[in-house]
Amino acid sequence: MTLLASFAHEDAALDAARALRENGVDGVDLYSPIPLHGADEALGLGKSMVRVFTLLGGILGAIGGFTLCVWTATRFILPTAGRPVITLPPYLLITYESTILLGTLMTLLGFFVVARLPAWRDRTYRASSNVDRFVISVAGPGASDAEEILRAAGAESIEREESE
Amino acid sequence: MSATRELMFDHGQPSYSEVNNDVINALTTTTWRYWVTLGISAGTALLFFVAPWIYQIIVGVGAAGMNRNAMWGTYLSNFIFWIGLSHSGTLLSAVLHITQSDWRKSIYRSAEAMTLFSLMTAAMFVMVHVGRVWFVHWTFPFPNPMELWPNFRSPLMFDVMAILTYLTASSVFIYMGSLPDFAAVRDRSTGLRRRIYAVMCFGWRGTAHEWHTLGWAYTFFAVLVIPLAVSVHSIVSWDFAMSTVPGLHHTIFAPYFVCGAIYSGTAGIVTVMWMLRKFMGFGRYIGQLHIDNLSKLLLVLSLIWTYINICENFSGWYSGTSFEYEAILYRIWEGPFWWLYWEMILFCAVVPLVLFSRRIRTNWNLMLVISILINIGMLTERFVIVASSLPRKFLPDVFGTYFPSLVEISITVGSFAIFTTLFLLFVKIFPAVSIYEVKETLNPLRRREAHT
Repeated sequence: MTLLASFAHEDAALDAARALRENGVDGVDLYSPIPLHGADEALGLGKSMVRVFTLLGGILGAIGGFTLCVWTATRFILPTAGRPVITLPPYLLITYESTILLGTLMTLLGFFVVARLPAWRDRTYRASSNVDRFVISVAGPGASDAEEILRAAGAESIEREESE
Repeated sequence: MSATRELMFDHGQPSYSEVNNDVINALTTTTWRYWVTLGISAGTALLFFVAPWIYQIIVGVGAAGMNRNAMWGTYLSNFIFWIGLSHSGTLLSAVLHITQSDWRKSIYRSAEAMTLFSLMTAAMFVMVHVGRVWFVHWTFPFPNPMELWPNFRSPLMFDVMAILTYLTASSVFIYMGSLPDFAAVRDRSTGLRRRIYAVMCFGWRGTAHEWHTLGWAYTFFAVLVIPLAVSVHSIVSWDFAMSTVPGLHHTIFAPYFVCGAIYSGTAGIVTVMWMLRKFMGFGRYIGQLHIDNLSKLLLVLSLIWTYINICENFSGWYSGTSFEYEAILYRIWEGPFWWLYWEMILFCAVVPLVLFSRRIRTNWNLMLVISILINIGMLTERFVIVASSLPRKFLPDVFGTYFPSLVEISITVGSFAIFTTLFLLFVKIFPAVSIYEVKETLNPLRRREAHT
C-alpha cells in the first residue's frame, strides 16, 4: 500500500518529511514542482554520486585525448620542420576538449544511473506535483503509521494507492 | 531578494499553475500564422541555401568567389559569425547559473536553443566550404584501411574537436535542463503528444532524489561548459591567428574573438527575446529587468570590443614592419572593403554607446534595432577580417582580390532562414521558457514567512 499526501505549502511538506524521518518511517518520497532547498536534509540525501562519474569522465577524457594524439602521430612518423613528433601545446588542446567531452558524457551517464532513469513504466505519481502541489508518498509497512503524522503536518488530502 | 522578485515581473507575479498554463499553451496552441511563417522560412532555406549548395556541388567550388590566395571567403566568415552567435546562450546561462542570478531563469532556455541552432548552422557552413562534402568525415579520427590519421597539430583539427564537444555539451545542457518541463507537458497532454513527451522526459517524477541528482549534474554541466565555450572561439580564432598572414597573425585574436562572440550572441539573445515577447506572448516573463541587464552587458562588451580593435590597429601601426602596417591600411582605408570596416565600427562601437541611457536600454523596440545593427556589424567584422587579409599576402605579384559570388551571397541569406526554421521548430517542441525555474523565482509557497 502506498499513501499519498498532498500539500499546498512547501514548508509543510518539508516538516512532514522531517517528522516522518524522526519517527523512523521508511519508504518516504517527496514530489515537488521545483527543487526544494532543505529536501536533501529532510530526506537524508547527501552528496550525489554524480560527481564520481564526472571525475572519472574527466580523467578518462584527458588520458584518451592525449593518447589519441600521441598514438596517431607515432603510427607513421612524419617529421615537420625539426619539431618533436609529440608536440605538447597542440596535443594539450585536444586533451582539454576531450576532457570536457568525456566529462559531460559521463556526467550524463551518472545522472541516469544515480536518478534511476529512464523509467518508462507506470510509477506512483500525481501530476499536480508538477504544477503547484507538494506530494509525499509513503510506501511499504510504514504507511499505516504515517497517516497521522501527515495529517498533523497539514496535508490537504490523503489518498491510498493499493497496487504496487 | 524579494525586491528582485518584484522587479522580475512587469505585470505582477503569476501563480504556479499560471506558469504551467502560459508556457504549455504557447507550446501547444498553434495558429495558422505559425505555419505560414514556418513555411516561408523553410522555403527560403530551400531556395537560398539548399538549391545554390546543390548547384555548387554540381559545378564545383568555383561557383564561389574564392580563388588562389583568397581561399577563404564568405563561407568561413559566416562560419565564424554563427559560431560566435552561439556563444552567448550556453555560456551566459552557465555563468549566471553558477553565480545564482535569478533573472537568467526565464530567458535561458531560448538563449541555449539559439546556441544550439547557430552551432548547427555554423556546421553547415563547414560542409559548404569544404567543397567535396561527402569526404567531410575525413576530419574525424577513425580507423581506416589506409591508416591515415588527422594531423592533431592543425588548428583545424582543434576546431573539429572543439565544435564537436561544444555541440554535444550544449545539447546535453539544454536537454537536461528541460527534463522536468517535458514531464509537465506530458502531464497536460493526451494521445500521441503525451506518449512522445513521456519518452522525452525519461519518466521524470520530480522526487527529491531526482531533483537532487539533476541539481548536481546540472551544476557540473555548467562548470564544464564555461571553459569549453571560451576555448571554442579561441580555437576558431587560431585558425586565423596561427597562419602567418599579415592582418591575421595577432596574439590578441583569441580574446578578440571570444569577446566579439559573446557580444554578437548577447545581441542575438535580445533579438530572440523580442520575438518571443511579440509572437509567443511571453511579455509577462521577459521584462524590463531582463532587457536592462542584457543591454548593460552589451554596453560593457562593446567597450571591450572597441578597446581590442584599437589595440589591434595600434600594434599593427606600432610594429613598424611594412606588411603588417600595409595590411591595416588596406583593411581600413585602401582596400575595396574600407566602407565595411567603418560600417562595423559605426554599428559595433559607436551606436552601442547610446546604451548609457537607461531610457534606451529598457525600450524593447529600440533595443531590437540596436541588436540587429550590432549583429550586422559583427557579420561584416568577420567578413572584413577574412576578405582583407588573405588576398594580400606579402609579395605584390600574388596580390588578388576577393569578392563574394551570387552563390555565396545567397547561401549567406539562406543560413538565416535555416536558423529561423530550426528556432521555429524549437518553440513548438521545447517549452521556450523554463517552467520550473520561473517558479523558483516566484514567492515561495509557504505557510509562514521565511525567517531570513
